[in-house]
Amino acid sequence: MHQQDSSTLVLFSERPEWADVTPLEQYEGVNPLAPIYYSEEYKDATSYFRGIVKAGEMSPRVLELTEAIIRMNPAHYSAWQYRYKTLLELNNPLDDELALMDEIAVKHLKTYQVWHHRRLLVARTREPARELAFLSRSLRADTKNYHTWSYRQWLLAYFNEDTLWERELDFVGDLLEEDLRNNSAWHHRFFVVFQSGVRKGDEDRGAVAQREISFAKQYIAKAPNNASVWNYLRGVLEHSKIPFSELQIFVTPYTLPQRSEDDAPAEVIDLENPLPSKLAQLPCVAAIEFLADVHEAAGGDSIMKATELWKLLADEHDTIRKKYWEYRIREALRTV
Amino acid sequence: MAESRLLTDKHVQYIQTLGNSKDDLSYHMTAHLRMNAIYWGLTALCTMGHKDALDRVEMINYVMSCWDDEAGAFGAHPDHDAHILSTLSAIQILVTHEALDRVDVNRVTKFILSLQQPSGVFAGDTWGEVDTRFSYIAVNALSLLGRLSELDVEKTVSYIRQCRNYDGGFGNTAGAESHSGQVFVCVAALAILDRLDEIDQPSLCWWLSERQLPNGGLNGRPEKLEDVCYSFWVLSALSTLGKLSWIDAEKLTEFILSAQDTERGGIADRPGDESDVFHTHFGIAGLSLLGYPGLVDLDPVYCMPAPIIERLGLRKGWKALPRRSL
Repeated sequence: MHQQDSSTLVLFSERPEWADVTPLEQYEGVNPLAPIYYSEEYKDATSYFRGIVKAGEMSPRVLELTEAIIRMNPAHYSAWQYRYKTLLELNNPLDDELALMDEIAVKHLKTYQVWHHRRLLVARTREPARELAFLSRSLRADTKNYHTWSYRQWLLAYFNEDTLWERELDFVGDLLEEDLRNNSAWHHRFFVVFQSGVRKGDEDRGAVAQREISFAKQYIAKAPNNASVWNYLRGVLEHSKIPFSELQIFVTPYTLPQRSEDDAPAEVIDLENPLPSKLAQLPCVAAIEFLADVHEAAGGDSIMKATELWKLLADEHDTIRKKYWEYRIREALRTV
Repeated sequence: MAESRLLTDKHVQYIQTLGNSKDDLSYHMTAHLRMNAIYWGLTALCTMGHKDALDRVEMINYVMSCWDDEAGAFGAHPDHDAHILSTLSAIQILVTHEALDRVDVNRVTKFILSLQQPSGVFAGDTWGEVDTRFSYIAVNALSLLGRLSELDVEKTVSYIRQCRNYDGGFGNTAGAESHSGQVFVCVAALAILDRLDEIDQPSLCWWLSERQLPNGGLNGRPEKLEDVCYSFWVLSALSTLGKLSWIDAEKLTEFILSAQDTERGGIADRPGDESDVFHTHFGIAGLSLLGYPGLVDLDPVYCMPAPIIERLGLRKGWKALPRRSL
């Protein structure tokens, strides 16, 4: 078996078993703009690929050839396309193909084609559980990979099996334990809980909303300056049509500077309203913003309270978005 | 020593000599991107006011040599299969060079429309990869070809709507996370289709303004790193929605300028990294929208020179920052 590592790859032009194929060189006659620098191996492999395609060959050696190309350049979408057609033509076991892809994916996780190929394969193998397991391993290594997450969302929705959905919250929970700033994980949680139908045990949507709000609060308490968890909280409240004012008591301590040990009276632990951890940087911009929204929604005299908080953000705590906060002040004052 | 001005001459030279340097990693094995690369290079030159720095005839000939007569559209490189990505770039290059008459508009229109799936999303080619990027590409291309009336607008918009998330942003497929690049394509597509009403503008514009980090750069999603290319995508969406002022222009300008390669020319994804034509184009595009002096206006919806889009009668209601004088 020839070594697949591109640095020691035996050129296809030097392999006797490929002597019957006419390689077609890349069309370079026009002195093209932005010419490509090719390694000898890549030039050789793609020339043979063009020869194979022209001849319409779909044989096992085509798989070897396309694998070589993909390993050197995973973005070569024609190679992927032709490989897929060849696999189907040969009726090859697609599980084996997926196993091979597991290995290639490790190096090339950020390429669109790697994921689309898997999508095509799993649509045929109809074994989503195995794919989910692969995705979980993949995400542990590259926790915010956009393609991986997007593929996971597609997989879950496409097969729509309860057994697959059931384990998602635990999976997301584990990832958030490791990194509570993982925006992809927070997004996925929303997708699983609120955008994929109602599963057994979750029929009481009010209870589900409260569970998610508590979950978010715990994470805010741990590290309040985390945009993802606040976006999640807002999303849950808006989706469930729960007014922001219900969280006014919870949010208020986060809008104040950290108190020193001496000032702080002994706190009774309130599970509904977890306090900021001792290490939290306060005041928290997102909390001030949230409280301002509460005041704005209340209307009347509360509008002034909202504008004071926005002024605090514009002038002190979030000056880079000064123009935005000034816009909020102007708009709110117009309604007064 | 932070660079405080745009090194236009260096960038023009950089684009002119693309591909000559074998050390340029961004050109290694990127035949599938070549058409896009030429479009990025040309548009950057136009924005800098140096459209003639690359030969017009040579470029048009190259584009036409990428025509895939079987599919009726353009590939990225001669003998490459047609793809929607390279087809749009080809059309954009030809429009910029006033050579659209070279294109078989009927065939290209047919190719593009054939890629729409029942869900309303577009595929990139017959392989079937789908993404809202391709929806935007289809809409943009059909618009430039004057064939937008043949598009099933409702179907196209309904898929984009499914990609709208709880934070007001958009993802690449239904259910996917909001991402600045995907927000750009969805907003621009909706702008061309006059369907900006599909957007939760207060939420999205706030989300976009939140992309700006303390160092002035913009990121693609919360808690991720800044990258020069987001300078265009975020700014384009905000320009289209009339809220570009919500970005601290001075800080972003400083950030983009600091990502220039003062020796080789070109702009990188962030300061200290290697430059490439992709980030050069998007960095300059961002600067144009921010009103940087000496640059040509850029249409943020089509990502092409504004005067050209205006002449075609395709300008939508976007607002960039006023151009500062030199």
